[in-house]
Amino acid sequence: MRPVKPKISRRDFFKAGTIIVGGITVASAFTPYDAVLIAAEKPKTGKWYGIGIDINKCIGCGKCASACKQENNVPKAPFYFRSWVEQYTIKNDGTIIVESPNGGIDGFKQSVPTNEIFKSFFVPKMCNHCAKSPCVQVCPVGATFETPEGIVLVDENYCIGCRYCVQACPYGCRYIHPEKGTADKCTLCIHRLVKGLQPACFEICPTEARIFGDLNDPASKVNYFLKNHTCMVIKPHLNTGSKLFYNALSSEVR
Amino acid sequence: MPQHLKRLVGVFAVFIILFLILHYLLTPSSFGELGHYRAKAIPENELKELHYAGSEQCSKCHEDIRKDKAIGFHAKLKCEVCHGPGLKHALYADQFKAGQLPDSLILYKPGERKDCSVCHQFNAARLKIQFDTINTSMIHQVNSIEHNPFDKKTKVEFKCIECHNPHQP
Repeated sequence: MRPVKPKISRRDFFKAGTIIVGGITVASAFTPYDAVLIAAEKPKTGKWYGIGIDINKCIGCGKCASACKQENNVPKAPFYFRSWVEQYTIKNDGTIIVESPNGGIDGFKQSVPTNEIFKSFFVPKMCNHCAKSPCVQVCPVGATFETPEGIVLVDENYCIGCRYCVQACPYGCRYIHPEKGTADKCTLCIHRLVKGLQPACFEICPTEARIFGDLNDPASKVNYFLKNHTCMVIKPHLNTGSKLFYNALSSEVR
Repeated sequence: MPQHLKRLVGVFAVFIILFLILHYLLTPSSFGELGHYRAKAIPENELKELHYAGSEQCSKCHEDIRKDKAIGFHAKLKCEVCHGPGLKHALYADQFKAGQLPDSLILYKPGERKDCSVCHQFNAARLKIQFDTINTSMIHQVNSIEHNPFDKKTKVEFKCIECHNPHQP
């Protein structure tokens, strides 16, 4: 069989190739790729909810965890939580102990003798309401989503209970509701927000360690908190666009 | 076009039409309005039942306690922190006479030692000086067994509220 003569000459091939590659390079310079830590741009208008938690102020009373359970009818069993508190204890020899007996609802008992403790602190945890949520990305049916206001919600009537999102959440903030059989998580008490009330855990915090507000409003409490404290999110390397900012977050917290 | 290709095109067309019909029938009406989800799920989530009323509701009837509390260490504490969710109580309690409230409307009255020690029991993690300029107070911590020992003879534990008024500790 004779070799087929190509329709395009070698010269034209290189010409076209150079134009395509060069064009892409020039175009990408004009629309720079987002830096790793900037997961998603927030909307310029409307509300964009964010949360601030001051670890220095948390006294580990666990009232937020129990308030959340009562407000949202979360099952009482000690492994279903939308909001819970962990006690981190770093001993003098460097070992890290993390405890969360019943999410902190019944109070914490110091398990390590005081003279062995290097430092100890409480970390209240809840849904981070990520702007680029891993849990939303894995949902095969579109039953979990980010609202235009930045709240990650579950559509109970549409969820098939496949548990992908439970595995995908790097913060462990989801569970399968034992009665409904669907995924369940923090809704930032959206049913209270629409009535002008604070979410239950923010309402109840006795030391005001939890701050909540609109990140788009320069005068909001959460923006004041972010300006005046050194804040960090948990697992920033995962690029989830977490909107839960902790003051005084230690690197031990996972 | 050969005969077998014509048949194949026909079969594909039938499948595509069937898919489009099923897709139309099975997709909820509000799906895709705001994104890849049912837009109606947002109002459904907003319609959940409330349980916590907020402290403004409490002081409508219990103004005396609010005044008591306002000058004590617990001034910033909301009522529902200790007493639990009280929206039902706030909505329906005035329909009954004092002392005749049904059990479902009576709020929790914390009086046991464990209720206080949730916040005030000594714990290394609670030992902090708060550098915030607005809130400079530290929480009072005690070792409740040393501070208020059990009765040696009867082994009965004394309650914290026998000495401290929780509204004005």
